[in-house]
Amino acid sequence: MFAVAVRVQTARRPAYGQTLRVDLGGVVNSLDPAVAPANPAEAEAKREIDSLIYERGNPDGTFAGVAGSGPFRISAWDPGKRVTLAANDDYPAGRPFVDSVEFQMGRTPNDRLLDLELSAADFAEIPAEEARQAVAGGVRVSASHPDRLLALVFIAGRPAAQDARLRQALSESIDRSAIADFILQKEGAPAGGLLPQWSSGTAFLFATAADTVGAKALVSQIGSSPALVLGYDFGDSFEQSVAERIAIDAHTAGLMVTAQPIHAGGSTGASGVSPDARLIRLSMLSSSPRDSLAKFLATLQPIAGLDAISLPEAASPEQIYAAERSVVDDDRVVPLAWYPQVYGLSARVRDWQAPAPGDAWPFADLWLDGPVGSVPQKDHP
Amino acid sequence: VTFRSKLFWLFTLALAVSVGLIAAGVTVVTRQAFEQMYAQHTDALVAQFQREFEQRKQDVARRVQMITDDEATVRMAIALNQPQADVSAYVNVATGDSKSHQLDFLDFVGSDGSIISSAENPERFGYKLDWLTQPEDWPSLGAFLMKVNTQEGPAVGLIAVSTVRVGDKDLYVVGGERLGKNFLASLVLPVGMRALLYLNLDPTFQAVNLIDQSGPVVEGDRFASFIESETRHPAAQIFKVVSGPDPANTEEFHVLPLMGRQKELLGVLLVGSSQQEMVAIEHRIRTLAEGVVAIGLLISLLLSWWGAARVTRPVRKLAAVAREVSKGNWKARVDERGGGEIGQLARAFNQMTQQLSEQREHLVQAERVAAWRELARRLAHELKNPLFPLQTTVENLQHAKDKSPAQFEEVFRESTGILLAEIENLEKIIGRFSDFARMPQPELSSVNLNDIVRGVVKLFEAQFSAVGRPPITSEFHLAEDLPSIQADAALLHRALENLILNAMDAMPAGGVLMLRTNREKAEVHLEVSDTGTGLAPEECERLFTPYYTTKQHGTGLGLAVVQSVISDHGGRISVESEMGVGTSFHIYLPLKPTARPAVTPPVAETREAVGAQKA
Repeated sequence: MFAVAVRVQTARRPAYGQTLRVDLGGVVNSLDPAVAPANPAEAEAKREIDSLIYERGNPDGTFAGVAGSGPFRISAWDPGKRVTLAANDDYPAGRPFVDSVEFQMGRTPNDRLLDLELSAADFAEIPAEEARQAVAGGVRVSASHPDRLLALVFIAGRPAAQDARLRQALSESIDRSAIADFILQKEGAPAGGLLPQWSSGTAFLFATAADTVGAKALVSQIGSSPALVLGYDFGDSFEQSVAERIAIDAHTAGLMVTAQPIHAGGSTGASGVSPDARLIRLSMLSSSPRDSLAKFLATLQPIAGLDAISLPEAASPEQIYAAERSVVDDDRVVPLAWYPQVYGLSARVRDWQAPAPGDAWPFADLWLDGPVGSVPQKDHP
Repeated sequence: VTFRSKLFWLFTLALAVSVGLIAAGVTVVTRQAFEQMYAQHTDALVAQFQREFEQRKQDVARRVQMITDDEATVRMAIALNQPQADVSAYVNVATGDSKSHQLDFLDFVGSDGSIISSAENPERFGYKLDWLTQPEDWPSLGAFLMKVNTQEGPAVGLIAVSTVRVGDKDLYVVGGERLGKNFLASLVLPVGMRALLYLNLDPTFQAVNLIDQSGPVVEGDRFASFIESETRHPAAQIFKVVSGPDPANTEEFHVLPLMGRQKELLGVLLVGSSQQEMVAIEHRIRTLAEGVVAIGLLISLLLSWWGAARVTRPVRKLAAVAREVSKGNWKARVDERGGGEIGQLARAFNQMTQQLSEQREHLVQAERVAAWRELARRLAHELKNPLFPLQTTVENLQHAKDKSPAQFEEVFRESTGILLAEIENLEKIIGRFSDFARMPQPELSSVNLNDIVRGVVKLFEAQFSAVGRPPITSEFHLAEDLPSIQADAALLHRALENLILNAMDAMPAGGVLMLRTNREKAEVHLEVSDTGTGLAPEECERLFTPYYTTKQHGTGLGLAVVQSVISDHGGRISVESEMGVGTSFHIYLPLKPTARPAVTPPVAETREAVGAQKA
C-alpha cells in the first residue's frame, strides 16, 4: 500500500519549523482503532490520519499497530475539532519534511474552498464539481485519475427493482453527459461500465448516450404510469443535483421519478417513503481493474441483490469485461459518471503527487515553500 | 280610560313613532352612506392593487433587463457565440444572479431555446423552452403571467423576457417572481383586508392551491364554488363568503382573474374585505339609534305626561266645576284664562252655567209663583165651599130674625149646627195644609214592612167591600224573609194609606189592589199596584208636585206627602202607569238609612196611557 522510500534533505528545501494546515470534511471523534466511525466521512478522515501515524496498513484499508510508528505522531488532540501531528524523527523511512500537520475537522466544502482562497489552509479535498470554481477563485487544484464512480442502484426487494423494462427505461433515459459536463463541470466522464477507461480499457464498449426514444418505448410497454423514488445521500448537494437531473430526464421519457434524500446508510427516506433506488459512490482502492471490480461487486451485491460473480485472482480483461457487462446489462446497477479526487493546495506546497487509488495523502513527502498567495498551478496527472 | 290617559298615550305614541322613524331613517341613510363609502374604499384598494401589480410587472421587467444589461451576461452571450463554446461553465450563473436580483425564476436560454442555466430548475440545463423561440416582441410585451415548472412542482410566475443579441444569435434572459405567499405578503393592504391567490395549476379546484401570505388558506373549500365559477368564466366579480351566523364573519371578495400570455387563466386573485368593521359600524349606529330612541321615548313619556296634563288640566277643572254645578253649586265657574279651544270651552261653559242658573232662577221663581197661585186657587177653592153654606146660614139667620121666636129658634138651632160643621170643615182643611207644612222627621226603629202593609190594608178592608160601591180585591205577594228596616212606622203607615186611597180613587169600578214586597240587595222594595184607569205621561211627571191633583176634591198633597216620607227615609219612589191598565208605585227603602238624603225627584214611567186620579 505504501511505498517505502528514504527522504533525502536537499539544500533547496527549507529548514524545519513548518506546519501543513489541512482541512478535513469529516469529524473524527475517536482515534481508537476499536471505535468504529459513525459515518463514511469520519471513516475517510480517520483513515487519512491513521495512514500518517501508523507504519503499516491492512488490506481492507484499516491500520493497526503502534500509534506513532508512522511518519507522524499525535501531538495535540481535540476530539471532533482538531488534531495535530508532529513529525516522527525516528521514522525508519526518514523524517517528514514538514514539522507538523494540523487537521481542522468538520469543514464544509465551502469552508474548505474559502480557506484555500484565503490561504488559511494548505491542503483540502474539494468536490470535483467545485474544481472549476476553485480554479476561478485562484486555488491551486490537483486532481487524480477519475477513480470514483457514481452509480444508481435499484434496491433489492423493491417492486421497481423487479421490472427489467423499468430499470432499462430509466437507464436509457439518463443523460450522463449532462451529469459529467454540467454537474461535474467537466471534471468527470460519463460512465457506461463499472470501471474507468484508464483502468480497464474497455469502458468505451459501454454506451453512455441517452436514448430517450427507446426509453419512451419501454415505458409505453409498461402500461401504467411507472413511478419510483430515487434516494440520495442527505446533505450531498452533488448527489441531489444528479438525482434531480435524473428525475427530469426520466420525466421526459414518461417515468415519474421523485428525488428524495435519505440518511447515510439508511434505506428509509426522510419522508418515510422507502426509495426504490439510490445513488451510491464507489471508490477504487486499487489500480487493478480486477480488484476494483471485485470490491465494487462486493459492495453492490447486498444492496442490489446481484447474482454472485466469481472473479479469479488472475482474471483476464475479457473475464473482467464479461462480469462488468453482465452487471450493467441487468440494469440493477446503472453507472452514471466517473470523477476524480480533487485536492486544493496552497501555493507553498511543494512536491505534491496525487495519490494513486487507495493510497493515502503523501504528506510525509511534501515540503512547504514560498509566501501565501503564490501563483496557483493545476496538477493534473 | 281617562281623557288624560288617552292624550298621554296618544302623545307618547306619536312622539315614539316620530323618534323611531327618524332614528330608523337616519340609521338607514347612515348605513347606506357607510356602505357606499366602504365600497368606494374597497374599489380604491382593488385599483391600488392593480396599479401595484402593474408596477410589480414593470419592476420584474426592469430587473430582468438589468441582468440582461449586465456585463457578465453580455460576456456570456459573446462566449456562447463562439464555436465550441463551453456551455457548462455557465450552468450555475442563474442561481447567483437570481439571488442578487431577488428573482424567484431566472433562466439563461440559448438561441435554440436550450436552457443554459436555470435558477428554479438547476438540473434542467440542456432542455429546450420552445415557447421562447416563437416570434414575439418581448421588450414591448413586458412582464406577463405564466406557468413555470420548478423542482417543487408547477408554479405561477410573473415573468419577463429580455434578449442579448450577439451576432445573429440571441441569449434569452427569462426571469420572474413567483406568485405565491411571498408575493401576497409584499402587498400593502389595510387592516381588515386580505389578499388570497388561487393558482390554477390543476384541472379541478384544489384547496391547497388557494393561499394567503402564510400558506394554504384554512377551510379553503369554502371558496370552491366561486373559484370554479371563475375558472369557467374568468371575469372580475364580487362575492361574499359567509362563515357562521355572525354577519361580522362575512367577507366580501373582489375577484380578479389573472390571465397568461395566451389568455389562459393562471390564477385568481381574491381581495377580501372583512365585514367586521362594517358590522361594527352598523352595530354602533344601531346602538346609537336605540339609545336615541330610548332617550326619545323617555322624553316622549315626560313630554306626553306634561302635555296631557297641561291640555287636560282645564278640562279636569271644567269637569270638577260641572260636578259642582250638578251638586247645585250654580256659582261655580271655570278659569277662563288662556286662549284656544279650551278657553272658548271654559267661557262657553261659564256662559252656559250662567244662563242655566238664571233660567233656573226664573224657573224656580215661576214655579214658586205657580205654586203660590195653585195654593191660592186650592185654598180659595177649599175655603169657598165651606164659606158658601156659612154665608147662606148667616143670611138665613138674618131672615129668621123677623120670624117667630119658635121659628127663629128652630132656624137658629139648625144654622148654628151648620156653622159649626162648616167651621170644623174649615179647620180640617187648614189642618191638612198645616200638617204638610209641618211634616215631622222620622223616628227610626226596627220595623217590618210586611206588618205595616198588612195593618194598613186591614183598615181599608171594610171600605173595599162597602155596600154601594164595586168591590176591590186585595192581593198580597209579601216576601216572608223580608228583613226589618230602620224606619218610622207611623210615617210609613201614613204614606201607605195615601197610596191605597189613591188606588181606591183610581178604581171607581172596582178592581185588584196588589201589594208586593221583596228584598233587592241593601234595600226593600214595596210595590203598590192597582188595576185602575191609569195616568197620562204628563200626569206622571207632575204626580208628586205638591197641590197638583187630577181629582175634583183633592188637595194635591197626598202623593207629595208620600214622596216626602220616602225621601226622609233615604228611599226613592217611582211610578209606572198605562192608560186603561193601571198604575204601579215602586218604593225602595234602605235597610238602614245613613243620613237624610237630598230630595230626589220621583221617576215616572208610562206604559202607554195615563188615566189615574190623584188624591
